[in-house]
Amino acid sequence: MLQQVIALLIIVFFIFRLIIQRRTQQINKKEFGLWLTFWLIALLAIISIKQIDQLVARLGFSGNGINFLIYLAVLALLYLVFRLRLTLAKLDRQVTDLTREVTLRLKK
Amino acid sequence: MPKIFCVIPAWNEAAHISLVVTEVKPFVSEIIVVDDCSQDQTAELAKTAGAIVLRHPINRGQGAALQTGNDYALEHGAEIIVHFDADNQFLASEIKEIITPLIADQADIVFGSRFLGKKANFPFVKKYFIMPLARMFVRLFLGIKLSDPQNGFRALNRKAAEIIRISNREMAHASEIQARAFKAKLRVAEVPVTVIYHDFGQKLTGGFKVISDLLINKIIK
Repeated sequence: MLQQVIALLIIVFFIFRLIIQRRTQQINKKEFGLWLTFWLIALLAIISIKQIDQLVARLGFSGNGINFLIYLAVLALLYLVFRLRLTLAKLDRQVTDLTREVTLRLKK
Repeated sequence: MPKIFCVIPAWNEAAHISLVVTEVKPFVSEIIVVDDCSQDQTAELAKTAGAIVLRHPINRGQGAALQTGNDYALEHGAEIIVHFDADNQFLASEIKEIITPLIADQADIVFGSRFLGKKANFPFVKKYFIMPLARMFVRLFLGIKLSDPQNGFRALNRKAAEIIRISNREMAHASEIQARAFKAKLRVAEVPVTVIYHDFGQKLTGGFKVISDLLINKIIK
């Protein structure tokens, strides 16, 4: 119970921080929406941790709900890192194209 | 004789570039040295030796430099483009042999191979460990059935150079060019070439980087 309260307080803190960031226009609408969705899902998961425990047990996993959420978070992080790598590769290719364009134009 | 351009990507090759350009000159119409933002005198020396020098404002890698050279050569009417290394490990006299199948119209692209009988003083680990692994990988995943997956000595006719656009800016370009040639159903030939190693060249870690670059480039399109 105490753990749940601490987790909820942390999430509320981040949502509050997010609202401030949006108000001071440090982040755009899209980013705000994305992170708000993320924290609300986390909030929902913490509130319904008992139901998740039951679901995890029904699915046949040996761990509890919190462990299951951590596994999901790790998977999400891996996916985000992969997406980041692809974005970097695209940017890298654009830099190469630009370099080539400049090189060939300077030679003309 | 067709208009033959030799593209030589170079990065900090001041020690070899003059000799390489001088030796290649008798066998081609034009030499393009793509200086990949060298910190030494590579560009000046190449120009003095008689090459056309293109200079990347930032370092982009060998594959990127080759494509820059290809673009320039195509724009200036090249009928045959030869790719040659700047580190003096190939023999310029073998340009004649590598372009022969193109001139005879028997191939669209010719790859040099270190495994077809000519001299190549391979480091042991490279010959018996790294290269067989590389060959197996490109055969399995890219469908390339060639004896040498990572050779920088090759020649392309105009059609092949127009079809193949190199997107891997670093060392994975060698396998990428081969894969694109097969995918485009170009007529492919291999000729034996001599390689004189001055250092070890690409290491096993470099091989893993090549694989990872090939996969990423396949995904981002």
